[in-house]
This record gives sequence, structure tokens and C-alpha cells, in this order.
Amino acid sequence: MVRRRHRPGLAGLAGVALVAPLLALVVRAFADEWRSPALLPQRFGLRGVRIALGADTGSAFANSAEVALLTVVAALVIAWPAARVLGERRLRHPAPVFLLLAMPLLVPSYAVGTGLTEWFIRLGLDGTTLGLVAAHLTVVLPYVTLVLLAGFGPRLTAIEEMGSVSGLPPLRRLRLVTIPAAAPTVAAAALLGFLVSWSDYGSSLAIGAGRPMLPVVLLPFVGSDPQVAATLAVVFLAPATAALVFTVRAGRRPL
Amino acid sequence: MLAPAVLVMLVLFGGAMAGAVRTSVTPLGGHAGAGAWSTLLHDSEFHDAVAFTLRTAVLSTGLAALLAVLVALAARRSGTVVRALLAAPVPVPHLLVATVAVLWLAPGGLAERILGGLPFDVVHDRAGAGVVLVYIYKEVPFLVVLLLSAMGQGYRERDEAAAAVGVSPAQRLRWVLWPTIRGPLVVGCIVVFAYVAGAFEVPLALGPSYPPTVAEYALQRSDADLISGPSVAAAALLVSAAASIVLAALAVRAAKDPQGG
Repeated sequence: MVRRRHRPGLAGLAGVALVAPLLALVVRAFADEWRSPALLPQRFGLRGVRIALGADTGSAFANSAEVALLTVVAALVIAWPAARVLGERRLRHPAPVFLLLAMPLLVPSYAVGTGLTEWFIRLGLDGTTLGLVAAHLTVVLPYVTLVLLAGFGPRLTAIEEMGSVSGLPPLRRLRLVTIPAAAPTVAAAALLGFLVSWSDYGSSLAIGAGRPMLPVVLLPFVGSDPQVAATLAVVFLAPATAALVFTVRAGRRPL
Repeated sequence: MLAPAVLVMLVLFGGAMAGAVRTSVTPLGGHAGAGAWSTLLHDSEFHDAVAFTLRTAVLSTGLAALLAVLVALAARRSGTVVRALLAAPVPVPHLLVATVAVLWLAPGGLAERILGGLPFDVVHDRAGAGVVLVYIYKEVPFLVVLLLSAMGQGYRERDEAAAAVGVSPAQRLRWVLWPTIRGPLVVGCIVVFAYVAGAFEVPLALGPSYPPTVAEYALQRSDADLISGPSVAAAALLVSAAASIVLAALAVRAAKDPQGG
């Protein structure tokens, strides 16, 4: 087989073109004065930070983080056994289960939120953490299950069997064999689930009952005040970046 | 072991859909009826919203798929750094990309300052070009990741074997590349289409004031009339959901049919 030399040119250029625009956000966030047609800001400052801090940002950040973390934990716990069954192809007719899991990916999240609103008002769950987690779980669970099942196949089963043959009791086998072997997949599922919940606008708006969530707080500033929008966007991006770094590190963990 | 996941989905998703149907036929404090559906189906703004949503979703999905195939072909032998750069926008929220788009593409934005002017408006323009651009920026990397994972060692070996026996580049695209990427491309396009058709944060940030997308239309109806608005909104969202599900079913069927590919 003839191996060609890598040509980073075109694809590399596309990659740089995709990443570079994001960097302007950071400059805009700290540009108190940036009038057209100047390419660089006339004055740097913390106006954006001051206004953003006064716009429910702290509580919105805390609410979004709390809901996203709880949703991911719940999704991982619920999805794990389902993904094992589906990944190991133990089901004779898996199509209906896949169909059920795929449906929320095809339906607008605002539709899910709107549909749940009346029930949640009756149950006193609208605007609560539990209500938001339940609404986000509807959208996050399919993603987490589908990512997890890709890592749960014959290879993992074979490694676990080797652990059993070596005399490891079930709990130690889970800790020493299963979890390390599945860590990259679990990390990827957790990242995706976190990001889906963190950036969900539709069901947060429908179920939130005015409770500040970061996407809901950010949107009005996009048209009205670009500096505050950029500041909030940097805040919005921070946990996503942290989650990505965490996932890459978890994914590199040796078997 | 499947029971918890199936139960959660049946209760939450099933409950949500049942709730949406119930809301669509039961206005607040009123009697059950099909008034909201009748209002919806006779509202010219809803017709415009459907046309605008379909056009935006088809354009975004089609262009993103085409570009993703080209980028994936160019990047199939690239190293980790290039692949990481190409995948970088995947975890970036759509709303954040919309914020970046306003920063670059709005009148007086960075693109205009660098280029001295843009040939046409892309923010709040009636054609929704800004909305489509944001979705292309977000969805091309997502589709590229899916395609590159399918175009691994096996594809390279099949492609090189075909080239070695004299198969032309066009025939290799038809008989080697397309069967390799058809599955992930169709699944990815379904997810992209459904998302574009149902989300409203990007159109709210960048889209025209008229026509709205179907999701924006639903939000406007909910806000404009607290009594009957939610019923019309629920009906509109159900139409959007049903359309996405039907189109997804047709796409999966076409992808499975060897003659359809």
C-alpha cells in the first residue's frame, strides 16, 4: 500500500477558518469602544462584564450548570443498562426501542417543553430544578444512550469475561475492568449530554417559568448589546470547553 | 435492564406529546375543539412560516451535507490536529455561533470592516441567509466527524483496491465512497434537518422579522395571546414534529433501498 504524505493545506485551512471567528468573541467581550470601520477596538474595559454580571448571569450560570450536571448523571445511570442490552445485541427486536429513543431527536425541544408544561404546572414542577432536569432528560437520554451503546459490544464483554476468569468479584470487576474500558465512551456520552442540556433553549424557556437559564438570558443581548452578548457567550463557552478538555483527558486514560 | 430508559421515555416524551395534543385541542378555560387547528391551517402567516422553515432546513441540510463530503474527502488522510480543528465547532452551542455571526456579519461587523463591504445582507435578511450560514458553520463539522469515522482503514483499502484495478475516480465515488458514507450521512442529515426545522434561537438572533420559522411562529402565538395562543402554538409544533418524523422515515427507507442510493 502506498501511503501519501499528509496534505494539511485545504483541510487545515478549513479547520482554521472554522476556529478563528470564535476568537473574536473574547476581543469583543473586553472592547468598551469598537466603532466601525476600525479593525481593532479603540478602548478596552470591563463594561460588558459589569452589565453581564447584573443580568442574572450568576444565577443563570448556576441554574444551567446544576440542571446540566444532574441531567447528565441521571441520563448516564438510566442509559447504562439500556445501552448494554442494545450494544450487546441481546434484544431480538430492537427497532421499537431505537424508534422510541430517536423520536425526541426529531421533535423540537420547544414542543417537548410545551407539552410537558401543563402537566408540570399541575404537579408543581414548572420552574423547579426537578422539572427542568426531567424536560432536559427527554432530549439528553437518547443522545447518551446512543453514544454509550457504541462502546458496549463484544470487545467489552470479552474483557469482562477475562476479568471473571481471573477471579475478580463483580464489584472489583466493574471498578477495575468495566469502567476503565468504557471510560472514553462514558466521557463522550457525558460531554454530549452536558452540552445538549447546557445549550437547550426551547424546553428551558417552556418549563423554566421565568427562572434564569444561560441561553435564555443571552439571547436578548445578541441583537441589543454585542459586547454583553460576547461576554455572556464567553461564559457560555467556558464549561463546554472545560467539559471537552475533561473528556479528551478521560478518553486518553489507558485501559 | 431496558425498563428504566423505556419507562422514562414513555412517561416524559409520551407525556409531552400527549400534553401537546391536549393543549392543541383545549384552549385555556375553554371547551375541547379543533378551533386552534382551524385557525392554524387558515393562517397565511403559518403558511409562510412553513415555507420559510422548509426552505431554511432544506438549504442548510443540503449545503452542509455537500460541503461535509468535500471536506471529509480532503481531510481523510489528515492528522490529528487538522481533524481536531475541523471538529472544534461541534461542542459550541448554536446560540453562541449566532452571537459570533452577528459580530462578524452584521452591518458594520468585522467582515464588512475587513472586506470594505458585503455583497448582500446576511443578518435579519428576508431570505434567511444568516440563519443558513450559521447552520452550515455548525453542521458541516458535525457531519464531517460522522463521515470521517466511516471513512477509516476499510474505506481506504477498498478505494485503493478499486484504483489498482483501473476503476475511474467517478466510478469509485459511486461504488466505493457512496456505500461507505450513505448510512452516516443520511442519519446525520436527518438529525440536522430536524434540528433546523425545530429550533428557534438562531432565527430569533439572526432571522428576518417576517416570515418567522414554525417554532418562532409558535413562540409568537404563545406570547401574543395567553388564552388561545398556546393551543395554536402546540398545533404548529405538532405539525413540525410530524413533518420531521415522516421525512426521517422516508429518508431512512431511501437509504436502505439499494436502488435508492
